[in-house]
Parts: sequence; structure tokens; C-alpha cells
Amino acid sequence: MKPKRRIPPIIPVTLALLLFGAVKLPIEQSLDDAHRASFFRGAKLTLGLREQIGQGAFLAALSGYRSLVADLLFLGAFTAWERTDWGKLVVLCNNVTALQPRVIKYWEMSVCYMAYDASVAARNNPRLPREALRIKAERQYWDLGRDFVERGIRNNPDRWKLYERLAILMKDKYQNHAAASEAFTKVSRFKDAPEYAKRFAAYELSYCEGREAEAYALLLRYFNQGPQERLPTLIARLKALEEKLSIPPEQRIYIPARNHH
Amino acid sequence: MELETVSRSHVRHQFFSFGRVGAIASNTVLELVRLKVFYFVLIFGLLLLGCSFFMTNFDIDEQFRMLKDVSLGSMSIITWMLAVLATAMLLPKDTEDRTLYTILAKPVPRFEYLLGKLCGVFILLLISTLVMSAIFAAMLFIREQTAISQAIKGAGRVLSSKEIGEVTQGIRAETFTWALVPGIISIYVKAALFSALTLLISTFASSWIFTIVISAAIYVIGHIEPIARDYWLTQHGASPLTKVFLALISLFFPDLQLFNLVDDIVAGNAIALALFLKTMALGGVYALVYFFLAYFVFAKKEL
Amino acid sequence: MADPAISIRNLTKLYPIPFRREQVRAVHDLSLTVEPGQVYGLLGPNGSGKSTTMKIILGLVSPTAGNTQIFGRDSSEVDSREEVGFLPENPYFYKYLTGEETLRFFGKLCGIRGAALKERARELLKLVGLEDAANRRLGGYSKGMLQRIGLAQALVQEPRLLVLDEPTAGVDPAGSREILDLILELKTRGITILLCSHLLGQVQEICDRVGILHRGKLVREGKLADLISVESQTQLILENASPELLARIEADIAGAGATLVEKTKPQTTLERFFLEVTK
Repeated sequence: MKPKRRIPPIIPVTLALLLFGAVKLPIEQSLDDAHRASFFRGAKLTLGLREQIGQGAFLAALSGYRSLVADLLFLGAFTAWERTDWGKLVVLCNNVTALQPRVIKYWEMSVCYMAYDASVAARNNPRLPREALRIKAERQYWDLGRDFVERGIRNNPDRWKLYERLAILMKDKYQNHAAASEAFTKVSRFKDAPEYAKRFAAYELSYCEGREAEAYALLLRYFNQGPQERLPTLIARLKALEEKLSIPPEQRIYIPARNHH
Repeated sequence: MELETVSRSHVRHQFFSFGRVGAIASNTVLELVRLKVFYFVLIFGLLLLGCSFFMTNFDIDEQFRMLKDVSLGSMSIITWMLAVLATAMLLPKDTEDRTLYTILAKPVPRFEYLLGKLCGVFILLLISTLVMSAIFAAMLFIREQTAISQAIKGAGRVLSSKEIGEVTQGIRAETFTWALVPGIISIYVKAALFSALTLLISTFASSWIFTIVISAAIYVIGHIEPIARDYWLTQHGASPLTKVFLALISLFFPDLQLFNLVDDIVAGNAIALALFLKTMALGGVYALVYFFLAYFVFAKKEL
Repeated sequence: MADPAISIRNLTKLYPIPFRREQVRAVHDLSLTVEPGQVYGLLGPNGSGKSTTMKIILGLVSPTAGNTQIFGRDSSEVDSREEVGFLPENPYFYKYLTGEETLRFFGKLCGIRGAALKERARELLKLVGLEDAANRRLGGYSKGMLQRIGLAQALVQEPRLLVLDEPTAGVDPAGSREILDLILELKTRGITILLCSHLLGQVQEICDRVGILHRGKLVREGKLADLISVESQTQLILENASPELLARIEADIAGAGATLVEKTKPQTTLERFFLEVTK
């Protein structure tokens, strides 16, 4: 008598897994899309990144330890900053932001490292004898910083902090008050934006050639909203614009003298 | 020895009994606890302590983020390792010790035996996750209180109660938020899914080492699955062999990246409840499918 | 008419060898019946098919052909095991459980709960003489104690059938005697017992019927007394017989054409002697 030829269980199990796979595939795809729309899984784990951070770190990043790997690399970036190893610092900042694009701090620190620290170091670099070369190097670091903040904004369009960082960068380094004003205006449109953002946008606008009237109208509107808006900088800018625009005295703002008892 | 007269006190055979499943599950938890698997949790606690000493050079928000990353990353790996190691040993140990025969010689359906064993592992994972979460919350609280007192002292003047409130609120926003809870739940669900998968593998495997190795391989492949799926569905220039290979990965393996929510939660993202529930439901479905396939194999297995 | 305790009809079990055409024939066309209340010894050398037969009776392995029933219920059905208690060879329970916890665990598996379970565990511990070790972990039990707790768990659901695989293996003579006495006591209560053992002296002492397996086939089966009687011989044991009487008996035997095969002094058994000396 021969035993009944039993089908090895691995065959029906494999078929069942394949069938289940066909059913779960569109569900996973749709969940994946929904996660990405909620800013989850935005990290770009590319082969270039793998080459830079190594196989082990890449595997760890793939396996769900992205944030840990980013933290460790960020520690490395801090060390590179302390050693003023700007080349390594750029690479590490790129890696950290690639791994954790939703951590605002990483983008902010990268901007600061590049546009404020590295640029100053380049400007004062004794190894570059010519001033023109030093200025060029300084600007390249500003541009690197700007690139970081713009990429950060693309990864975090739902958050105001990097728009503010861009505004400050434009103001401090590029002296581009129009771009700074535009960025502060974007900040002010967020529900959770700091209340000074709209004022800062108007201040920057007030420095733009040919847009003084527009700035004056904005600042006057804020002034008229009440005492909470009548801050010293706002009053000072209004006064400056009144002079520049030759506003008639009877239309100028009135600031009562302080009682100095 | 004398045999006393006793009345027949047992009930008629029930088709399915939560009592039997519960007895096997609680016994499994005891067995696993005695394997000293909780030493992993101790390691977790020590890691956190070490981490907090190491981070004092950084800003408050960086410190808290690193503490969360180390805690949640460790919790994730420890829970996964517990799930795989505990489950891989279940069937081989009972078979080798022949306790399997003693249990199945009682009126215990194989389904209930397997379900009880798996539930025991789930309970163990839940206890571990809760203990580690408590340690994590305690560390966060201690760091938070230290940070608040340092911030108040560092102001250099006496702060008003409103100012103290603002400082406290600002620091608290960086520590424990309820958005972390879905992240912790997703760690548990991923581990539970892996436990069911490891049970399926162990029904085929000839040794528990083989089971662990295959589980570890699936862990890595599962995290690459979304890349393979994207490539398979969108790339039209790939060779037929490549497409078949990518298709097999996409169909056979779970997308484990769906359960890696903590990285982005720590970064400040919050997941919508509906999306979170759908994701966890998928994890539950995976665990169910793997369990039923494991039962299918085990039901016909010659013991 | 009551269903037999165990009914085996044309049982065959073949194990395929992976990657080869031939199979291993573990059991071949086995048929036997164990009536309720009997103590049945299933004997055979290693590899004869005893364990396979037992596993099929317990539903742990499925037959290639034929069927087995326990009190009229197919043994592959889970509920047939309500009536069966099993003591495996070299029982190994969860080391970390105490004796009482072990019995409570197995009791729960049989649907016994609460106060009834507690009472049952207590009674069984008393029955097998492990009251003092009730709260000690099984990891600290001796071989004999493990056999006894194994017997207790087999009895937890008050089964009508007990399957005992080498119940006295590795146990000292005193412990073996206690287990054998208990088996006989269980028999007087109407419990059917299927016993597998290599200790033929013990089998001879307690079994009503035996079946001998060899290479998967039942080669002999029947009442013990019938099987081991030497039909052509008669045994007489005399006490205080004088030499003259013995001479007369020998002469009568020779005169009748019979043969005196042996004339010796009867011996007690080594076991009885040991027990008397160590009492």
C-alpha cells in the first residue's frame, strides 16, 4: 500500500501568500501614498547616500532607525563644525537632512553652519590671499545655506520656521529686503505663526526702493489696530517713512510724550 | 496510596474554549519570563541612562530629540528581537521536551494550542512595551524637570508666573506629546506581526536557528519592499527577470516601512487617527493571515 | 453492548522517506480490541510500532489506512481525548511550575475550573504521594516523582482509559511497586489501561491481556495466562514432603510414562526479597 501523496504544505502556503500579496498590494500602495501626503516617509534613501554613510548605517536607516542614524551623523557634524572641517560638514549636513527631512532643526543648523559660520571663516581665510576670492568663497557658502533652507521648505511646506530662516538669511546676508519681506509674509499666513511676522514683513518692505508707500500703509494699519502693535521699531519705521514720503504733519501719527515721574 | 472517591467535575468538551487558550497563553508568558528575556528591558533602561549623560552638551530640544530617538529606536529593536526569539523557541522547545504530546493528548485542539502560544507572546510583548514606555516617560519627565529648573535659574532674574508658565510650556512641547503614542503602538503592532510570521516559519523550519535567520532576512527585505514595489510598478525599462524578481518581493513580503512611524513622529509629524487605524488594521490582518497559515501547516503535522 | 475502550481495525501507517520511493512501514494491518476494565500490555522490541500505535490512538499521528476508536469515538477527533489520560515515556513537564501548578494547568486544559480544580489537584497529589512536594518546582523532582506527577496529570480529568508508556522506567523498586499497586487499584475502579513496557516481569504481574508487535505486525495476542502457559507441563509445589513421599511420586511418574523435567526448591523473587530486606 502506498501512502497518499500529500502535497507538501509549502506549496499551498506559497500560493496563499501570493494571493494575499495580490490583495494587499493596492492597499499598501494607497497607505503609502496617504503616509507621504501626511509628510511621512519623505526621506530619500538613495544609492548616493548609501555610499556616503556606509552600508551598515544605510541598512539601519532602511530598517526603521533613520532618526537614530541621523542623530549619530548630526553628532559627527557637530564635531566637524568644532574642527572647522567645512567640507565634511557639508556632506554630513546633506546626509542628515536626507535621512530626516522633517526635522526643522537639522535644516536650520545646516543653514547656520554654512551661511553664517563657514562663510565668515571663508571671508577670513588667510590661505586665500585675494579679497575677491575670499568674497567669492563667502558667497558660495551663503548660496549653500540658501540651498539648504529652500530644500528644507520644499520638504516642510506646512511649517513656518524655515520661511523665517530664509527671511533672516535674505536680510542678514543678501541684503535682499524684498525677498525677506516676501518670506516674512509667508510666515505670517500660517495659523500658528508668531504675531511679529507681519510686522517684520512690513519693516523689510519699508527698506525696498519704490515700495515705501506700500510699507507705510501696512505699518499705519498695524499702528491703528491698537497699543499692542505700537512697538518702538514700528513707530521708528513709521516716522522714517513719514519723512521719506513727506507725509503732511496733520496726517502723521501722534505719539504722546511720556510722563517721567 | 488510596484513591478517594471524587465526583466527575469537568464540563463537556467545548468546541472552542477561551479558558484553554488562556491557560496556554499564561503558561507561555511564565515560560518566556523565566527565560530571562526581560533582561533586554534592563538593557533598555541602561541605554537611556547612558544616553542622558552623554547628551548634556546639546540644546534642550536636541537633547530631547536624541532621547526620544534612542528610546524609541531601542524599543523598536528590543521588541522585535523579543518577538522573534520568543516565538522561534515555542514549538521546538515543546516538541523536544515532549510537553507538546502531553498537552495535545488532552482534549485541546491544535488551533487553541497554537493560538494560546501566540497570545502568550503577544502578552509578553505588551508587558515589555509598557515597561519600556514607562521608563521612557520617566526619563523624559526627569529631563524635563531638570531643563525647566535650569531655564528658570539661567534667566538671571526672578521670572513672573506667566513667564515661568511660558518656559514650562515651551519645554513640555519638546518632551512627551500624545503624538508619540501612535509611534509606540506601531512598534508593538510590527513586533506582533513578526511574531506571527516567525510562528509560520517555525512550522516549516528544522531548527530554531533557521527560523531566526529567516526572520531576520525577512526583516531587512520587508523594509526594502516599498522600494522594490515602486520600481516594479513604475519602471518600464527593466528586464523581464528583474520585473519578476521585484514582483515576487512586492507580493510575498510585507511593507514594514508602513509601521515605521516613530522617525517622523519624533520629527514633529502627527498622524491622523483614521490613517493610523488603517495602518494598524493592516498589521493586524498580516498577523491573522500568518497565524492561519501556521495553523494550516501545524494541523497536519505528524508529531 | 458497551463500546470497547480501544478498537483498532486494519491499522496501517507508512512513513514516506524524503526523496526516495520506498516507505517505512511502522504499523501493518493491525487489529486489536481492548475491552473496558482490562489492563492490556502492548509489547514489542524497539521499532516494532508500539509508539506509533499509541500516537495514533491519541490522535497525534494520522493513520495511512484503518481506524482507531476510543469508546466508540474516532480517535482523530479532539473530544475523544476527554476519556483518555496519557503518561509519556520520560515525562518532561514545565520545570518552573510546581507540582500543584502543573496539575492545575492540565486541569484547565480539560475544562476544570475554580474550587473543583483546586480540590482535584489536592486529591491527586495525595493519591500519588506528593503532598509534601506540591509547592516544589518540578525542576527539583526526582525521576520517580516526575513519573508520579505524570500519572497524576493523566488522571486529572477522571479518564476511563489510561495510556501508560513505560510508567516505571528509571524508578526504584519501591516506587515501581507503588505505581504498580496504583495501576491495579485503578483497574478495580473500572479504568481501562493500555500499558507499554519493556519490564516484562511487571507486565506479567498486572496485565490481563497482551499483544506483541514485531516489525509493525501483531504476532501474538491474547490472555496472558493462556499465552505463557506451557501446556504439556504441570507444576506441583509441595511443602514438608518427606523423602519417601518424593521417591514414591517419582516412581509413579516413571511408571505412567511421563518425564520428571525438574526437581528444585522454589525461589522467591529478587524484588520481594529486596523489599523485605529494605522495609
